[in-house]
Amino acid sequence: MANLKEIRSRITSVSSTKQITSAMKMVSAAKLKRAQDAITQLRPYSEKLTEIIQNISANVELEDNIYAKPSLGKNILIVSISSNRGLCGGFNSQLLKVVDSFVKEKDQPSVNVTVLSAGKKSYDFFKKTEYNIKGNVLPKNANHIVNGTSFEENADIADQIIDAFLKNEFDEIYISYNKFKNAAVQIPTIEKLLPVELGEENINETKGNTQQELDYIFEPSKEDILNHLIPLALRTQFYKAFIDSNAAEHGSRMTAMHKATDNASELIKDLKLTYNKARQAAITNEILEIVAGAEALNG
Amino acid sequence: MVLEIIAPDKNVYSGTVNYIELPGINGLFGVLKDHAPLISALGKGSILITEEGGKELSFDIKGGVVEISNNKAVILAD
Repeated sequence: MANLKEIRSRITSVSSTKQITSAMKMVSAAKLKRAQDAITQLRPYSEKLTEIIQNISANVELEDNIYAKPSLGKNILIVSISSNRGLCGGFNSQLLKVVDSFVKEKDQPSVNVTVLSAGKKSYDFFKKTEYNIKGNVLPKNANHIVNGTSFEENADIADQIIDAFLKNEFDEIYISYNKFKNAAVQIPTIEKLLPVELGEENINETKGNTQQELDYIFEPSKEDILNHLIPLALRTQFYKAFIDSNAAEHGSRMTAMHKATDNASELIKDLKLTYNKARQAAITNEILEIVAGAEALNG
Repeated sequence: MVLEIIAPDKNVYSGTVNYIELPGINGLFGVLKDHAPLISALGKGSILITEEGGKELSFDIKGGVVEISNNKAVILAD
């Protein structure tokens, strides 16, 4: 049995770890709340925007739109959103696994796959590979926009990406992030950002459930409005991925820290038991020695 | 006429107004009650509104879009 002092110092160290993890859990819970608020805030904006776009695109030929040009599939960009910090369970590894297999799947001799990392963890993962971003069209990474930044900063990067697409630097752009489902569940997701696809089903859906059969005046023309709106929608989609990932990160960290705190409590309980057993054994031993000594004297 | 101004990260304004002046990408235009349904792209500039009480407010935007139908205006602004 380990000696008393050793166990005591272990108890102290585990308790202080527990304090840290439970504090981190609290912090994440508060940040999660804020991140969720941001998602709720964005919803009316993005819903209305989608509605208007579908409304317009229902009557417009999309084929010659610059944002919908058919892809040659030669230069592919993947924006991979991870977190800047660790200690958040499987948050980064599960995403990077998905991104990595996606990259490998796309990677053929005739295809250039590039990864733009947003978040230190993703950057660290990809910087040693051949996929990491080269050239000077886009920044090397977008780590600074990961944690709950404003829409403007975010839109900046989005604009640069859209620009790169319009200049034919990339034919296809994907965005990968952890979708926030609830505090315990994050779903690694890969979405196509460009070229724009407006699915038939979506259009039919809006037609079915809204009163939008009104005869709108379009100012300027429908095509011009669409060209004006698609970047807005892309920026929104981009921003949404980031705030989703942010909420997912805090949710994940909260769950991880909760588990760590529980484990620490369990460990402390076990250690206390061992400690008390050792203490009792020591006392029993001492008494035994005294009694034996007294017995020897009497004898 | 009911007006809502929505930005991506917050609801900027919502209320009843008499008059809205908007920076369309082809120039300024004003909207009064019972305007025909309209969708228009907005450029950089400021939105000027006159509330029912006559109070005037203005908001600066970088761009966006406005949808007007049935005396309800929704402005999505950046």
